[in-house]
Amino acid sequence: MSNFKRASMAGAGPKSASSSAMMAGGGHSKSGSILDALRATTMIDTKPVLPAEILVTILDYLPVSDLLRFARTSRRMREMVYDDTRWVARLRSMGVWDEAEARRRFEEVMKRRREAAEQAERERLAAAAAATGTTGGSMPIGRGQPFPGQSLELFPGLQQQYPTPPPVITTTLFDAGEEELRRKRIAEEQKKKEEAIQAAAQRRAMEEMEGLQDGFETMKVGGGQGGLIPTAPQKDPFSDPEALLNVIKNARSIRGHARQEYGKIYGALAPFYFDLAKAKSHTDPVVFRVFRDPERQAQMLANLRTFAKSDWAAGWRQREEKLATMAGIFESAVLHEFETGYEFWDVDGRMHKYAHVLDLLNGGTAAVELFIHKHPIFTDKEVLANPMDCVNQALADDVTLEPSRRFFEVLTAKVNEQADIIQRVFPKPAEVFWLLMGKIRDDILTDYVTPLFDETHERSLAAYVKAVSGLFEQTLQFFRTVNAPKNEKNPKEQEELAKEYALKVFEQHLDLYLADELDYFTQQAEAEVGEWEKKLSEQDATAESFYMGSFTNRQADKKDFLTSFKKVVMMPVSALPSLPLGSPFASKPATTPTTATTAAAANGGELQAPENPEQSHPVSPSLAAPVTVDRTGSPLPDKAPTDELAAKAALMTSRLEGIKSLFSIEIALSLVHMAKSSLGRAAVFIQLGGQAGGEAREQCEAIFVALLRILGSRHIKPGFDKAVAHLSQYNPREVSHHDKGGVAPLVTFIELVNVGDLISQMIDVFYEQQLTTPKIADRNDFLDPAGLAKKKFEQMLDESVAAGLNKGIDVLMDEVEYVCATTQQPTDYNPAMTTDPFNDAASISGMSVTTEGTTSTTTNSSSNNNNRKSRYKSGTPSIWSLPSLPGTPPTPGGSSGTTTNSLGPQDIGPTATALRIRDLVSSHTSMLTGSTDKSMLDVFNGEVGLRLFTAVCKHLKRQRISTEGAIKLIADVNLYYEYIRTLKNQDLLAYFKALRELSQIYLIDAKHHAKEMATIIADNERFSGVFRAEEVYEYAERRADWYNVRKEVERAMYGLECLVM
Amino acid sequence: MAENDERALQKVSLQSNDGQIITVDRVVAERSLLIKNLIEDLGDEAVMNEAIPLPNVNEPVLRKVVEWCEHHRKDPPQTTEDENDSRKKSTEIDEWDQKFMQVDQEMLFEIILAANYMDIKPLLDVGCKTVANMIKGKSPEEIRKTFNITNDFTPEEEEQIRRENEWAEDR
Repeated sequence: MSNFKRASMAGAGPKSASSSAMMAGGGHSKSGSILDALRATTMIDTKPVLPAEILVTILDYLPVSDLLRFARTSRRMREMVYDDTRWVARLRSMGVWDEAEARRRFEEVMKRRREAAEQAERERLAAAAAATGTTGGSMPIGRGQPFPGQSLELFPGLQQQYPTPPPVITTTLFDAGEEELRRKRIAEEQKKKEEAIQAAAQRRAMEEMEGLQDGFETMKVGGGQGGLIPTAPQKDPFSDPEALLNVIKNARSIRGHARQEYGKIYGALAPFYFDLAKAKSHTDPVVFRVFRDPERQAQMLANLRTFAKSDWAAGWRQREEKLATMAGIFESAVLHEFETGYEFWDVDGRMHKYAHVLDLLNGGTAAVELFIHKHPIFTDKEVLANPMDCVNQALADDVTLEPSRRFFEVLTAKVNEQADIIQRVFPKPAEVFWLLMGKIRDDILTDYVTPLFDETHERSLAAYVKAVSGLFEQTLQFFRTVNAPKNEKNPKEQEELAKEYALKVFEQHLDLYLADELDYFTQQAEAEVGEWEKKLSEQDATAESFYMGSFTNRQADKKDFLTSFKKVVMMPVSALPSLPLGSPFASKPATTPTTATTAAAANGGELQAPENPEQSHPVSPSLAAPVTVDRTGSPLPDKAPTDELAAKAALMTSRLEGIKSLFSIEIALSLVHMAKSSLGRAAVFIQLGGQAGGEAREQCEAIFVALLRILGSRHIKPGFDKAVAHLSQYNPREVSHHDKGGVAPLVTFIELVNVGDLISQMIDVFYEQQLTTPKIADRNDFLDPAGLAKKKFEQMLDESVAAGLNKGIDVLMDEVEYVCATTQQPTDYNPAMTTDPFNDAASISGMSVTTEGTTSTTTNSSSNNNNRKSRYKSGTPSIWSLPSLPGTPPTPGGSSGTTTNSLGPQDIGPTATALRIRDLVSSHTSMLTGSTDKSMLDVFNGEVGLRLFTAVCKHLKRQRISTEGAIKLIADVNLYYEYIRTLKNQDLLAYFKALRELSQIYLIDAKHHAKEMATIIADNERFSGVFRAEEVYEYAERRADWYNVRKEVERAMYGLECLVM
Repeated sequence: MAENDERALQKVSLQSNDGQIITVDRVVAERSLLIKNLIEDLGDEAVMNEAIPLPNVNEPVLRKVVEWCEHHRKDPPQTTEDENDSRKKSTEIDEWDQKFMQVDQEMLFEIILAANYMDIKPLLDVGCKTVANMIKGKSPEEIRKTFNITNDFTPEEEEQIRRENEWAEDR
């Protein structure tokens, strides 16, 4: 209150001030009037003997008794001493001050006080009128002072022993607030000019009344707060020592009343405390004489130890030491009793009793330690099993967990027994139990587990990982299932503790285990893949030797080179019908007819047969013959090929067939199985949580990553690479049968894609099931290694598929071009003409060969015809030849019985070639549907369409088309167009639309409509930019009657006549 | 180390309120946190050349304080933050200090005030403990006499306080 005033004066010269204050104080203190007293107080306040803060420090060093005597010297000193914080500090040092409780009480009191304040004024006046000591119930002034005078009620009644005068009447204690209130009252009274004495008397009377009501009041408050000490005054500790025993426990936290609360404790304990401090031997202290039974003695000693913490006056150290010594003597005595009881296994008797005594004294650690240390379970032969049983009873390199299961069973039974005993003996069974478990863990489990792990680790990795994971599960199960005494505060405790304890057992093995688990998996998986690869390469080698073996005697290499040379280098130039080039085939015709027939039959190619009549008709002499030439040499793969080239082709087919086994779904499956079992073992540790769990989780992810790595880069990637390599080696001209409705390597590749897709889906399912569901990997965490690995794997797959498809397109288009080149009859689009030497360069050379072999007259003549024409052509500067034989009727020999498409304009369906190409392409594109990414498929289809367009255009430029043939062409183009439409690709469709438009230029009767034709050629819009006028012009040149109409058209186009021929 | 040696040789002049100048080693003077902080704030030069005025301390008291500081120059430097644990304060007073504090009460108080002003916590503590010892075992009347405290209680009031604190009366 007036602290500031005092503090401000502190610095002033102390000497003069103190002397003047002395005089002033002396002069006025004699007066009994309140007014004078007050005045004196102010005077003293201005006399700074020592500044307040120094006085406060001094007071800190005073023992409690001196402190309170000091309080009696003056008001100011009393305030200083009574300062609540001083006492709160002491309560707090004993750990009995609860700030939250204090605040709650304070708020309640404030509320009550406010209510009472108004009433108090009235009541006080009434009381003044009533004057003396009627304690009538109509005077509830005390309500404003909720905690008066309790100090005496609790007064410990040890007065018999310690000659302190017993309190007669309870008196009121004023807290700071009350003091203020009273001062106000005084001031009021002074204003009213009441007699000072009268006022004092009145106040005394009031105090008396309040005092009488105090018990009542306290009860009221106590009832409100609950759990308070019964306030029966002067209780004899001999008859009711509970009050003493519980005095610390029952201390309340009340602001403004900390001193009173401390007083209660001090009153109860200080006598014992100081007595004990002075005691010479352990028989001396009163505390041992007052309390005879060990429980209470222990309780008191514990109380005293707490109390000693609030003693910080000089000499506290010695006092505390003394107390500790006494407690030590007491403890060892009790412990001895406990031990004797333990030896006799007197569970409910001595053990129980003394465990509780020790618990009261200091938590009973000593008893617990003794109990656990000497526990018979650690020498129990039944429990101590031989861990080697797990190894010895198993097969070589394996481990059986049956013995360990029995071991845990026995242990669980024993431990449960102990749990029951612990519950009977100790006041805090849960703690003791888990301490015992800790010892069991360290001494029994670790001893069991470690040698077993060491042994298995030496024997084999498989046994080791199995043992660690299995034993861990058993251990965790053990800790979980033991009947631990329940801890009400923390019902989840057992689960947490179980994990913690299990972790402790396995901590030292965990790192090694996790690393080994990954190693083990990697090793196994690598071995699996490696073995498979080895098997594959063996197979490959045998196959190769089988095929190659049959003709190693011949000059295979040379022939191979020659054939390749002919195919690759000579082909474009082979417009010159150079007969010698066919020499490698010269030996063939003898075998060809027979093999070819069987081939068609064996292939079961009935559907394709009509389209490939050449093969089944070895006698086909004339126009069709050239087309068949290439294939005449290709025998069946089921027969040992005699021809080197055919052997190669067969070998290739075998390789491409082998694409399916470039990686196998079985391998992938077994890898996934292995990963799953590894994961399953490692995942057990995840439930540990914390760092160990995290590590286990990481390791699980690592296993998954390893799985993908091995499966991906070791297995699938090489498979794909190999497949793609094979695919790129594919040459349609080397392959024996084109009648299967598909390009064999591409089909197998697509199958590979399907398998890959299947594996990918398998991995995805595995990821979901094994990693995401048990929360090993977080799908939403884009940095998650498992997720990343999975993405990488899928990406790798996609890339491989893309690369393969890229090659696949090439292969497909090669095939398309090949089909175009080999099956398109020159008469298809130009029915008026028999042959066109420039139609297909490849066919010409072949034809010449066949012709020689078959010696058909018709073909002979046509062949001669060709030769003549080519000679003629060589003289012309331009690349196109004159439609020299416009009126020649179609030669029936070439196409009779083979195709219907050359029969004339009455048949307006698409040509067989177009049908085949459409089927070829569509079958391949549709095969891919669903097996790979949609967008990739779109790109693939787009590319296929575009390449098809290019191929068709290229093909078109090689044809000679008459007006009649134009109908056929339009039908073909329409067929392509219809097919492309199913791909639902607008951009692509535009090309084919343009192509459709283009095909119409052949329909125009150029002789009469040269102008219109010229218009069409120049009309860019018609082809929506796909063809330029020059290109269209180029196509127009392919008209069969071009030389006839060229002048007309050019004139129409350029409006010129002076064109140089 | 060199700097420390140099410091050890440095002298600081302290001027009491009656004009006397006492020159002491810098380390000794720096037992007073007031002076230590002052030197830190003003810089070495300013302090070395001029005497530091201590307007609240007279010469005899200052000499006494310096004497204490000289004796305790080797003590570990006091921690600046206040000790919250009141227990740590109540170590016993050592013998030299006890002798040192055997002065008349006026001087004792002056030393305490000076220690407070100059911020020499250990000295202040010793002073307070000495005072506490003086109070120990004395009756209120004796305390009043010792400390020149005027009793402003009515006898009834005083009796009341006695009664409400009876629990603390030992034995």
